[in-house]
Amino acid sequence: MATAQKTRPTWRAWQLSVRAAAAWAVVAVFMFPLYWWISVSLRHDQDIFNKPPKLFTPEVTLKSYKVVLLGISPSSTSIEKSGAVHWGESSATFALPSLLDSVYIGVASTLITLAVSLLAAYALSRMRFAGHHHFIFWVLSTRMLPPVAVALPMFFLFREFGLIDTYTGAILIHALMNFPLAVLLLKSFIDDIPREIDEAAMLDGASRITVFTRLILPSMRGGIAAAAVLCFVFSWTEFLFILSLTQAGVNTVPVAASTFVTSTGTAWGYMAALTCAAVLPAFIFIVLVQKHLVRGLTLGSLK
Amino acid sequence: MKLVSVFSPERPWVWLAPLVAVLAVFTLFPFFYNIYLSFHEFNSFRRTLVFVGFDNWKGMFEDAKMWRAFSVTLIYMTVCLSVQFVLGLGLALLINADGRGYHLIRSLLLLPLVVPPAVVGMMFLLMEDSQFGVLSWMLQSLNLIAAGAPLLTSSKTALVGVMLADIWQWTPFMVLIMLAGLHALPKEPFEAALVDGARFRHMLFHLMLPMLRPIIAVALLIRGIDLFRVFDYVFVMTSGGPGIATQTLSFYTWKQSFSFVKWGYAATLSLFSLVFLIVVAHAFIRAAKVRW
Amino acid sequence: MNTLDKRNGKRRLADLAGQLAARRISKRDFLKKAAALGFFAAGAGVLGGAAKRPFSLLSPAHAADEGEQSPEVTAWLKDVGKGFRGRNITIKYATEATPPSQVLSTLVENDFTRYTGIEVQVEIVPLEQVLQKLTQDVAGGLGSYDLYYLDQSWMASFSNDTVDPREMYQNQSDLAMPNYDFDDFLPPLTEGISMFRNKMVGVPFDIPIFIVMIRQDIYDKMGLQTPTTYPQYLDNARAIQAEYNGEIFGTTGQMKSGHYSLECDWTNWLWGHGGSIFGPDGKFAGNDARGIDAMEYWLRLKENMPPDVLNWTWDGEFTSMAQGLAAQVYSWGEFFPGLDNPENSKVAGLLEPVLPLQPVSLRAPAEAGHGEIPGTAHQGGSALAVSRYSKNLDAAWVFAQWGSSADMNIRVSLLGGGASPMRRSTYEDARVLAKARPGVGSTRHFAVTRRAIENHMGSEPDHPAWAEVSNGVIPVELGRFFAGEYRSPKAVMDEIAEGVDKAFARY
Repeated sequence: MATAQKTRPTWRAWQLSVRAAAAWAVVAVFMFPLYWWISVSLRHDQDIFNKPPKLFTPEVTLKSYKVVLLGISPSSTSIEKSGAVHWGESSATFALPSLLDSVYIGVASTLITLAVSLLAAYALSRMRFAGHHHFIFWVLSTRMLPPVAVALPMFFLFREFGLIDTYTGAILIHALMNFPLAVLLLKSFIDDIPREIDEAAMLDGASRITVFTRLILPSMRGGIAAAAVLCFVFSWTEFLFILSLTQAGVNTVPVAASTFVTSTGTAWGYMAALTCAAVLPAFIFIVLVQKHLVRGLTLGSLK
Repeated sequence: MKLVSVFSPERPWVWLAPLVAVLAVFTLFPFFYNIYLSFHEFNSFRRTLVFVGFDNWKGMFEDAKMWRAFSVTLIYMTVCLSVQFVLGLGLALLINADGRGYHLIRSLLLLPLVVPPAVVGMMFLLMEDSQFGVLSWMLQSLNLIAAGAPLLTSSKTALVGVMLADIWQWTPFMVLIMLAGLHALPKEPFEAALVDGARFRHMLFHLMLPMLRPIIAVALLIRGIDLFRVFDYVFVMTSGGPGIATQTLSFYTWKQSFSFVKWGYAATLSLFSLVFLIVVAHAFIRAAKVRW
Repeated sequence: MNTLDKRNGKRRLADLAGQLAARRISKRDFLKKAAALGFFAAGAGVLGGAAKRPFSLLSPAHAADEGEQSPEVTAWLKDVGKGFRGRNITIKYATEATPPSQVLSTLVENDFTRYTGIEVQVEIVPLEQVLQKLTQDVAGGLGSYDLYYLDQSWMASFSNDTVDPREMYQNQSDLAMPNYDFDDFLPPLTEGISMFRNKMVGVPFDIPIFIVMIRQDIYDKMGLQTPTTYPQYLDNARAIQAEYNGEIFGTTGQMKSGHYSLECDWTNWLWGHGGSIFGPDGKFAGNDARGIDAMEYWLRLKENMPPDVLNWTWDGEFTSMAQGLAAQVYSWGEFFPGLDNPENSKVAGLLEPVLPLQPVSLRAPAEAGHGEIPGTAHQGGSALAVSRYSKNLDAAWVFAQWGSSADMNIRVSLLGGGASPMRRSTYEDARVLAKARPGVGSTRHFAVTRRAIENHMGSEPDHPAWAEVSNGVIPVELGRFFAGEYRSPKAVMDEIAEGVDKAFARY
């Protein structure tokens, strides 16, 4: 008995460390593709392919980052020396503008989405009306149409209104895409706030709109932040709509990344550098609202 | 009319009006436009849409490639959903602990979610190349795959190769949801079961899973809808090949629209996907009693 | 950066900011220019050690002589530019990422916009996307693009949407570039990629064409003869494969299922064995005896390739050569300079360009159908066409002349790392000839590509249904065949015949 009691804490500690080791092993597996992608972004062209692959970057270079983010191309010097624009290296590889476009479109579309969705979410949470459930299902069903099916009609519609290749158009399409998520998510946050608060305030003579702006909005700041981050991330990673509805004037990161696939080879280093640089800000945002993320990813159905 | 009275309690539609307006543009317009398109076909010579009656619809039901794409999509959806769910639940149980380390782990797991799916496809394409790819090399070293059999070039394994990308990117999504579910479980029943000497398996199947049911239902619904529409990974990694072994319905639709400029047929396929998803999702929501 | 540079830099940045404020330049241009001035570069110095050079590729101070625009072209641009300056004209086109379009998009600001005031927006997207965007554009006839980048296989579809460049040249003498010379283009090119039923749809813009490339070091070591025939090419592949036992493969390919590249490889074996895609009756002919011979040859060749060819497009094919994984390839000549560039190739200087092989037999164009021209050098050329719906027709035409001029053709060849010239004068230019040596920017394959264009060029059919067939039925069914889903070459060819004839019947 005495021995058992003595060994017990060690057994428990051992158990805990096995668990931690297993957890970290799993994380390592999940992080490996990203490690690899970062390492590709830091390699010289001739080090990207090896047979067998080299797990560690032989010589770290920031060349790819300089080319895509700063527009400094080491080969611009080699052009002068030897006269070759090596694949993928032209002004087309300078991708910082697309990063800024992504920020602009992401932020603006998020703001519009939130403004419209907050009103709707409040109504859906607080008022009952005929077809309430059907309405919610309708909102949800917008996620069921394949994006390919939306892109073509939107192209013709946008063309009628002169929205092709404009920031307004790009912002609008991302806002439209994010409404269902934002509405359902924000509704769930409003549901958390007891109805009695509204009722008490209205008995005191406050109007719906006052309740909404003075009571509801301030008490769901965390929820709004979570919705904002998710809208931003989905805008940040969206590919097909921007590809179809813009031309050379507006360009986001995923579309810019696709231009590194050329007819004489893929510029893997540049593609990796651009996307690694783009993942970082999105990752920081999403970590900040981690607490509310699950609710967001399930469109507000989980509390 | 004063602003205050417009937003009175009796008028939910005033609050909903902006949303209804934009949703109509985004859903109703494409929906009706696709219906219109599905009775037409684009004629490259005349540069216009020509009315073709029910040809596209009849053609679709007779199109063997479409049914193959449909079944590939269902297989893809089922396998990915099962793997992501089981892995997700397993990992959630593993990292459902306190401590700073676990907090960091939970944050790191968010990383795959912020990478654009098309880029994830490129990452896995690079890693699965059997000559130069690091993933293939590791699997070959572990004797899990043969050196002369690249994952993506055999009809039997190509779909698995594509699924790897999907599973990598979306398992963390399942982990997060399951973690939230586990977190919300009451402690008492489990403590009681422990005192009774219940085994882990018993607790999992008789306590935990039933209590997690609503959460699992929502996770499966949302992931299922997205899996059914999978496009980016297939587009980037295999172009639907070899042959049509990894051609999903979304990719087939895209091909009709973009490579073949058959806008009418693409619209027909889109509507089929939409109707299928609406029916299945509706049935699932009812059966699993998912509520918003 | 010395002090003087810094001061000038700051002044220019202030100018740029002023222009941005006045909305004369876009945000994108502002950033690009600001970065060129090295202000971002200064920040980069912290990150990555010495920031080497500002971006401005060919600013007058740094430009290498060989890459500089000829004074005549500049003078002409300044002259015609008077009519456009101050009118705020922007012209747009969408293109695939190819060497000429990349060089052009790099040079356009300094060498074109500076003299004419015409802004040019080049949109680089995947090839399928180019087709979709052009189709959407012509469907409404709205002219959101002023120029069309047309793949040779789309000429038929878009022949009515463009203006014949020869007409524009004749009718608008005030805009005509002196000595532009349509006859300077190699005649088979004009015929093969620009013409549809006596109309010149656009000017030739790019000519990727199949040649043979061999690892001379391996050939020498093994004492192999340079291949001139298809059987020899196969024998050499087998010998190398046997010698190196899978360390180095006999050959490689671009055989990704469902991808256009697979169709390109197929035509090369088909034509070289006397087959053709279509017969004179316009029906699919790939399933005849010669077509089956070609398939059997291809199967034998495939045994000497890395298994991954089935998931490689030209991208993977290029990588496999650059990494020294295969000893010979029959593919795009535009690979050559990349393979000769030590920065991304492990076999720089080791390859030799070789003429396209002697066909086993060859069909005459009259024995094929839909404008198909059988040949042992498959071409994937493209033309630059002026859209009939453009609102800036004149500006677009000036750009098209500039982009396809003899001077630009030379510069693209010198700077373009891979682009083969389309003009006789370029092949004979002293600066171009001077770079016919191993190393970066090599042009030593040009003699071979020129003979390939002049004597061996094979062109795909011209038909509106061709885009669907060459991107769909053919590469998809061939992909199934190589994945083992068909019993015999005959079975897959019959299946393709059915699919192709059905697609063509719709027109």
